[in-house]
Amino acid sequence: MHKMNIKGTRKTAIFLLTVALLVMYVTGRNFLAMRQPDVVIPADGFEKRMLSDWFQGIHNTPADTPVFIQEGQEPGGTVLILGGTHPNEPAGYIAAVLFLERAQVQKGRLIVIPFANNTAFTHNSPQEGYPQYIRFLLPDGSVRTFRYGSRDTNPVYQWPDPDIYVHEPSGQRLAGSEMRNLNRAYPGQPHGVITQRIAFAILELIRKEDIDLAFDLHEASPEYPVVNAIVAHEKSLELGAMAAMDLEGRGIPFRLEPSPRNLRGLSHREWGDHTDVMAILMETGNPIQGRLRGRTNEALALTGKDKFYQKAAKLGSLFIPYEDDQPIALRTARHVTAIMTFLEMLGFISEEKSVIVNNIPDYNDIIDKGIEAFLLSIS
Amino acid sequence: MPAIVEWFFPEGLYTIAMIGVFAVGAFTIKFPVSIAMAFAAIAGALIGGAGFPLRHLVEGMFGYLDTILVIATAMIFMKTAESTGLLEGLAAWIIRKFRKKPAFLSMGLMFIIMVPGMITGSSTAAVLTTGALVAPVLLQLGVCPHRAAAAIAMGAIFGMIAPPVNLPAMIIGGGIDMPYSGFGIPLIICTLPLAIFTAFLFIYPPLKKGDFSESGLEAELKRMEREPLSFRLFIPLLVLIVLFAVERVFPSHWPSLGMPLIFLLAAASALFSGVKWHPLQTVISAINDALPVMGILMGVGMFIQIMTLIGVRGFVTVSAIALPKWLLYVGIGVSIPLFGAVSAFGSASVLGVPFVLALLGHNEIIVASALSLIAGLGDLMPPTALAGIFSAKVVGEDNYLKVLRCCIFPAILTALWGIAIILLANKLAVFLF
Repeated sequence: MHKMNIKGTRKTAIFLLTVALLVMYVTGRNFLAMRQPDVVIPADGFEKRMLSDWFQGIHNTPADTPVFIQEGQEPGGTVLILGGTHPNEPAGYIAAVLFLERAQVQKGRLIVIPFANNTAFTHNSPQEGYPQYIRFLLPDGSVRTFRYGSRDTNPVYQWPDPDIYVHEPSGQRLAGSEMRNLNRAYPGQPHGVITQRIAFAILELIRKEDIDLAFDLHEASPEYPVVNAIVAHEKSLELGAMAAMDLEGRGIPFRLEPSPRNLRGLSHREWGDHTDVMAILMETGNPIQGRLRGRTNEALALTGKDKFYQKAAKLGSLFIPYEDDQPIALRTARHVTAIMTFLEMLGFISEEKSVIVNNIPDYNDIIDKGIEAFLLSIS
Repeated sequence: MPAIVEWFFPEGLYTIAMIGVFAVGAFTIKFPVSIAMAFAAIAGALIGGAGFPLRHLVEGMFGYLDTILVIATAMIFMKTAESTGLLEGLAAWIIRKFRKKPAFLSMGLMFIIMVPGMITGSSTAAVLTTGALVAPVLLQLGVCPHRAAAAIAMGAIFGMIAPPVNLPAMIIGGGIDMPYSGFGIPLIICTLPLAIFTAFLFIYPPLKKGDFSESGLEAELKRMEREPLSFRLFIPLLVLIVLFAVERVFPSHWPSLGMPLIFLLAAASALFSGVKWHPLQTVISAINDALPVMGILMGVGMFIQIMTLIGVRGFVTVSAIALPKWLLYVGIGVSIPLFGAVSAFGSASVLGVPFVLALLGHNEIIVASALSLIAGLGDLMPPTALAGIFSAKVVGEDNYLKVLRCCIFPAILTALWGIAIILLANKLAVFLF
């Protein structure tokens, strides 16, 4: 095979370099635009702080992220809602934003971290073809935009990945890129890489604020066995069972999974092992994350409608009931309703630790009216 | 509309269009493979209704940034070791020491080829380090170039899959939250018999036959020994081994430098080898040699991103797992290596994970080990064919397709071995766990 040969000259070199610079300029602006933080409008009563207030090791770094705290009139327990551990799992951080923009805490304290791994919101995973943003058209005609990021910390801030990631302190070995996965970094390291420091900061917050119940909100691909699931540490297993039974009775089934003891670095394991908190991780089924998905775009992130998942469902390859779609309203409603159910059950277990939060839309409302009905307008 | 037509349109059509544009670009117009891949990606985006998505094209290329850096720096290291005379000197020493023991030498050389892959999880690192070291030994002992390259390519792939570090298995495990533990013996079962077989297939026969002239060999060995094997000559190799080893042994106390920096530091240490060589020329020559492959990877990066964007990836994946049970194993043996044309690691992630889920009920560790073995064959699949291209380069063979032809038989055997291990997974598990 004779390859086509174009003679390289000074002119071809200048031409190619100019094209390369132009491509760098245009795409560079596009990539940098993702560093603009998403706008959120906290409900009255929330105080904004930064995660670095609990651990100075991330102060003045791109990893520092807002923490919102609202205290009710009556004393009670403290609950943490963590969204955005994986910014390619939007129902997780949209559920956290809904609490942030609507919650009226009557009893106890509510702490919301909507964008836990802030740097992972600033880029997309290569070769996944993901959209950069998801948008909601509000009833008043305004648009709320949220970034659709990556599962992992931006490599601009933590690079290169090792060949193998050895989790501290367990010594568990994982593929090198998992070192940028916040949900493999717990309990974190104060002097470690940026992802380990974020994990450490979150643990410091849980310890210092004496959190009673903490949620880490995720999504998973429909073919992944731990989906539409509650994963609970031993300390929160009883509470998890109560919540799962209640949800089941209301027609919102969740699989209850005990946190595996040999799978280290995850929130449901390490939060529970290293603090007194009752740790809960929740997953909903999100087709855009899956390996079986077809056309990848914003519509898929919002509707979950995909012909290949329809086929996979018929083949019996999925772990969620999937007919035509899996809209973000449904996925977010599952998170929101499950959290509210947990709060109710927490009150049954301990009156002293109970937390009462009002003004949160119920399951059917979110599904019927959509997320856009409950986000605040920025106009 | 019949179900099959509904299934095929439009993603099947996009698949054909992208492959068609690539084929016309590469084989009819005779563009370099990298440019043909880029055109295929652009055509796919246009036909698939995604316009001219510059951001996606650039983002896709970045998926291979780390691999490209490893290739460039490993090539610099290899060229440096070649320039200082270390490669040939060491090869001559091995020939003198072991040429009377062909069976031992065949297996020993195969093991030497595998070691860097076992440590780094990269077949490219294996080919460009010990593969380059073993290449002149094989050639001097009468192994013909393309069979020598095939032995190096297959050995590098077996090294990449053999324990302790197997990245495709880690990737598959990561997809189903399975920790990377308990893989050691299954991975040895996957690789060791095949490595021994390949050594006896490609290396042993000419060694046993002793089909070389003693006087000619002696003259050649003298030429290869132009630099005496001193401690200083070994410095680059020692730096490389120490930097890799220290990261593995003390992961908590030693920062991860990354393979590119390790290769560069090792190459730079050759400045203290006491031999005159030309660093700038060596680096230029290394980058010139590596440039086409780096270009291919960038083209492939664009291609895979657009495939994903317009739904071709989903079409391929679901078509593979939708195969009837009796065809599933054929699908595994064919689709995983074929998808490896874009990347062995990508194949492990995109197809390996759905297949391991489709095979639930079989022992997951053994199934993932076997799937990783089959995924490793992706490094032989053109146009990327990293193991094939670089092994051809280290033996001085211009046409890497000749090398790939030699690899067909052991590759088919590898796929069959992997499938056999999957079929026997539960029976093996009884003995192993």
